[in-house]
Amino acid sequence: MKLQTTRFGEIEIDESQILLFVKPILGFQNCQKFILLPGPKDSPLWWLQSVEDGTLAFLLLETLQVLQDYQVPFTPQDLHELQATSPQEISIYTLLVVPEDPTKIRTNLRAPIVINAKTRLAKQMVLDRTDYPVQWFLAQPQNEQPTDRQEV
Amino acid sequence: MLVLTRKEDESIMIGDNIEIKVLELRENQVKIGIEAPRSIPVHRKEIYLSIKAENEEAARVEPPKEIPVIQPNKGDPKDGSTH
Repeated sequence: MKLQTTRFGEIEIDESQILLFVKPILGFQNCQKFILLPGPKDSPLWWLQSVEDGTLAFLLLETLQVLQDYQVPFTPQDLHELQATSPQEISIYTLLVVPEDPTKIRTNLRAPIVINAKTRLAKQMVLDRTDYPVQWFLAQPQNEQPTDRQEV
Repeated sequence: MLVLTRKEDESIMIGDNIEIKVLELRENQVKIGIEAPRSIPVHRKEIYLSIKAENEEAARVEPPKEIPVIQPNKGDPKDGSTH
């Protein structure tokens, strides 16, 4: 199907690749369907383009590519919601914020976007019982031990 | 909203397996203990609000803007994550 977007113009998407968010991205309750588009070449970035709203897109970071110790503790309920049989089936991303000031580029480790590529089900998790920050700045050396940081 | 009055060390049960207990009262703070199954997420409300605000910031990203080229970093996150 064809999709009109403000960022990428008219794009052709494969309907079978549409992701369904079983829990919404907070603040965007009306948008449940998204499609993953490749980000800049050779980067661990993906675009998450809304299928229902051509003006809405996010940049996703493959978080484990830059932060190998990042851990998302999936509960049986999470697996059930995504129809996954094991956590290995689930891909983990975090939303990137790109302000004018490049030193302020950050990602939200507290609320990852998790996707089961097989079932095309996804959701934004809100991690509890962790200290991962909502704003984790990629450029700053004080990001040494994110799990020890105070919550925001 | 249901309003209940509790003293220190008194509890409220929500369903059969969620207990909310008033542990300590101080001048203008109350310490609350929550016993709930692991499958029930428990958050301070501010966390939700801050995530929502951050999501809205994230949605403002535009391709014409300089998108950082973030190289996969196989090393230690302590080295910094951008290069």
